[in-house]
Amino acid sequence: MKKIHVIGIVMIVVAVVLLTNAAGDMSTYASFQEAEKSHQRVKIAGELAKDKAMEYKPEVDPNYFSFYIKDMNGEERKVVLLAAKPQDFELSEQIVLTGQMEGEIFVATDMLMKCPSKYKDEEIYIKSGEKEI
Amino acid sequence: MEQIQYVGEHLTPGIIGQLAITLGFVSALFSAISYFSSTFYSSDKRWLTMGKVGFGIHGFSIFTVIVVMFFIMINRYYEYQYVWAHVSDELPLKYIASAFWEGQEGSFLLWMFWNIVLAIILIFKSGKWEGPVLGTIATVQVLLNSMILGVYIGFGDDPYKLGSNPLLLLRETMDAPIFNNADYLTLIKGNGLNPLLQNYWMTIHPPTLFLGFSSTVVPFAFAVGALIKKDFQGWLAPVLPWALFSGGILGIGILMGGAWAYEALTFGGYWAWDPVENMSLVPWIILVAGIHTNLIAKATQQSLRSTFAFYLLTFILIVYSTFLTRSGVLGDTSVHAFTEMGLENQLLLFLLIVTLIPVGIMIWRWKQIPNPEKEEPTSSREFWMFIGTLVLFFSSILITASTSLPVYNKIRQLFDPTYIGEVITDPIPHYNKYQIWIAVFIAFLSGLAQFLRYKENSLASRWRKLSIDWGISLLISILLGGVILLWIDTYVWQYTVLLFASTFVVTSNFWYWIKILRWNIKLVGSVCSHIGFGLMVIGVLASGLNENIITSNSFLMEGVIEGDDASLRNNVLLFEDTPVNIRDFQITYKGDSLDLYTKTYFVDFVKIGENGDTSEQFTLAPNILYEKDFSKIAAYNPSTKRYLGYDIFSSITALPQVEMEAEFKKEKEANLNYRTQYLSFDKEITVYDTVTNETNGSETINAFKVFLKGIDRMPTHPEYTPEEGDIALGLEVGIYDTKAPDKIFYATPVIVIRGQLLYGYPVQINPLNTKIKLPEAILDFIFPDESQLPYREIKLKKGERYSINSNYTIAFEGFNRSPEHPNLQPKEGDIYVGGQLKVTNSDGVNFWTEPVFLIRDNQPYFLKTQIEKIGFHSRFIEIDPTTETATFSIAVSSPIEHIPVEIATDSLRYDYIVLEAKVFPGINLFWLGATLMMLGLLLAVIPKLKRKYALGS
Repeated sequence: MKKIHVIGIVMIVVAVVLLTNAAGDMSTYASFQEAEKSHQRVKIAGELAKDKAMEYKPEVDPNYFSFYIKDMNGEERKVVLLAAKPQDFELSEQIVLTGQMEGEIFVATDMLMKCPSKYKDEEIYIKSGEKEI
Repeated sequence: MEQIQYVGEHLTPGIIGQLAITLGFVSALFSAISYFSSTFYSSDKRWLTMGKVGFGIHGFSIFTVIVVMFFIMINRYYEYQYVWAHVSDELPLKYIASAFWEGQEGSFLLWMFWNIVLAIILIFKSGKWEGPVLGTIATVQVLLNSMILGVYIGFGDDPYKLGSNPLLLLRETMDAPIFNNADYLTLIKGNGLNPLLQNYWMTIHPPTLFLGFSSTVVPFAFAVGALIKKDFQGWLAPVLPWALFSGGILGIGILMGGAWAYEALTFGGYWAWDPVENMSLVPWIILVAGIHTNLIAKATQQSLRSTFAFYLLTFILIVYSTFLTRSGVLGDTSVHAFTEMGLENQLLLFLLIVTLIPVGIMIWRWKQIPNPEKEEPTSSREFWMFIGTLVLFFSSILITASTSLPVYNKIRQLFDPTYIGEVITDPIPHYNKYQIWIAVFIAFLSGLAQFLRYKENSLASRWRKLSIDWGISLLISILLGGVILLWIDTYVWQYTVLLFASTFVVTSNFWYWIKILRWNIKLVGSVCSHIGFGLMVIGVLASGLNENIITSNSFLMEGVIEGDDASLRNNVLLFEDTPVNIRDFQITYKGDSLDLYTKTYFVDFVKIGENGDTSEQFTLAPNILYEKDFSKIAAYNPSTKRYLGYDIFSSITALPQVEMEAEFKKEKEANLNYRTQYLSFDKEITVYDTVTNETNGSETINAFKVFLKGIDRMPTHPEYTPEEGDIALGLEVGIYDTKAPDKIFYATPVIVIRGQLLYGYPVQINPLNTKIKLPEAILDFIFPDESQLPYREIKLKKGERYSINSNYTIAFEGFNRSPEHPNLQPKEGDIYVGGQLKVTNSDGVNFWTEPVFLIRDNQPYFLKTQIEKIGFHSRFIEIDPTTETATFSIAVSSPIEHIPVEIATDSLRYDYIVLEAKVFPGINLFWLGATLMMLGLLLAVIPKLKRKYALGS
């Protein structure tokens, strides 16, 4: 057997070990219930509960933004994001949060939003600035 | 249905463009077939000629399409969907190119454009390789051209749409009632380029990156050609400069993306292991691996198979990355939003064709590719270089595997719909922890292997010299690494190892260049790239590990949420003119300025030294870009102060909601709880305000004192621009909080009568959360009914006095040739003079007033003045030049009292910004290193080209 082959095999073994280990870095999108049980950092995907109150008062605390999220099981919980309120938050269709449960509240440190594209093709702007659908 | 004859459409360019797209597709197909046939029937030269002609027509067609696209975009022909979607009247001409490649169709055209440019060079320069190389490129052009073809294949209600045509008319792509108007074109306006993309990066990044993408097809085409022609050695020399060029340009393109993200976007870094970034990096890594095996193969005949594999894989991965980023598969794992266009299946087909066919040929030829029986000796350069390429390959596998997780999820869901896809919880540490070891290996291998020679069987003869070279490199690198360790904190031993590996690659390559290459500038390419790699990694370590969010404020709101990691609170609240101490700096928000749609915020930074000195200061100016109707904010742009050793990066993260949303501002203003207060001169009134604490429900009562200071008939207000004929009135109001009576705030709310309309300009007093405006009723107080006033005429010479009811004494103090009066805007030919009157009341208090006598166009005008405090009205109505006597019309009414003003004490302050600031130490080292790395690749091209021409002549 060539030395190169030995090295190749060693690398494959290392790759398999690393990728198996990496499974620990992966997670499924959790529900609030699962997040409550796990006590760990999880990702939660859900929709913004648009009928519930959102609170962001930068003049009081620029790093506190709270809102309600409905997770994949339809459960609604209060979420606190420890950051500024992102642009176009109200328009988001889906929200992915990273964080963990602290009592009844999900405290998120990171958020990704999926927003509809800025210019919807169904809307034609006419010159007065009004929209025609 | 009746056909509408539309007015004003320009259909000719569209027809020309459509024809050119179709012709381009057919000619590329023709060229590909001819070129490949010329490879198999090489005796017949006509195939080659047909291939050339076909490609010529193809190139001409695609250039025509591009010219047509630019033509309709520059002329703003909004009847075309692409123009409507990407251009607007306001868009400056310099952004037309950016708008062109903003859309998917435009970026495909850009890709094809570069392919054609490269192909033209290859037609002249590739000699005997022309047939298969151009055949392969023409095939790729067929596939790319199909993306913009826009024809329907199949029958029935749902035919398959092949490609998305950029020259469709707007009315063909959507159904809207507006198209019932024959002259709809006069009504519509373009959407324009996304404001986020209106900067110079969007002008330079895509063309560079696409030239990088495009150039990877050349090594791919050479590999395919060599496999077809069974000439497994002859291609190694001509392909190398192309591969080096491609590596350099693709690398620069990727770096520009990082620089854009860092400088202009608020990502707050240059690399985030985002799927889109990863999938442009992976082909580059594979290409670099290919360049190394190419060098090995050229020198030793080893590693031929790997060279084929790497070059083929590079282009396959470019197409795979195109598929991932444009098909919408990545979904919510990427911040780069790419919309789906219905091209997913076609992109998948593209990927399958460029994967399966070359892989098929490779398998078919596998046994025939020479592969020396004798193994590389462990003391040879090629052995360790090959190990290095394996490490690079290994790195790409890890990155690709993690990035492709969404693809894996999707495939698994095809078979098991109940399967719930997995995601990487925290991507950045996930990638970093593996890639750090890759970097360590690469650094050590490239540092050590430089000194080895090809085909060297034994090191015994020069072991001594070699160990001296290695030893010196290692020694210097340890010293250098030690110094750097003093500068950056690494915390973890792994990073320390990486740091020393990086300094080693720098010192060893530099030593190699001095000692072995003897400062030879022609051979500097490889050394330059390797040193660049080392410096880049040191830069990554310095900026990444010691990235310091200086605005994070751990003590501000601690304890609000249990167990919360205070270091995650990254933003600081800055009130105007109120200095805040953050780490190492004192920062003050000094105000803002609006220029068209851009509002810039000025923040002063004063560096506080260790002994408290504040010698160094600078201003950062992050800005925001509003939508064209000011309805909301379109983009936040950071501002960075650059020093040699570190950068200070700042970005606005939030603003008061009234600043961010016009709609909210209107609503907020309408819902303010204004209460009418009545003010009189020299009298304070008290306004009470009840504040409810939201957490415990307790109430506190604030008391404000308000008083009237004066009436301003020529008031100023930041939002009021005076026009001729305006009647403006401002009330000077003083207000203070009874808890802080020494802090008196003065405000002048303004009301303006312009024609039939009334405009109000309220004033916000931010520190008191108070807003004051003037009600319409105030006009009746200030402008009394003239007919009810008891006017009388008095004639006075200079120095004469007149008394009214012994309450007031009026003294005429003289004429004034340059009087001032709110209603006097002098014009040429005007004759005017003011009469200076002093009015003394019974208490002995003096007031001065100056009514004006004006003659304009032979008409006399009497400009009235009023002393509101005592209710004294006066006009200057006649002048007798011979006796120097002035006639005044005067009246005394009751003094103005109880003037209504409206005060709202619930107008939350909005004189603040929320800012995030970071310090990136050593970031310039990253840019320097990365640039050197790419520059080295390009430098390596030059001697290869010279050698080629030398051989040719």
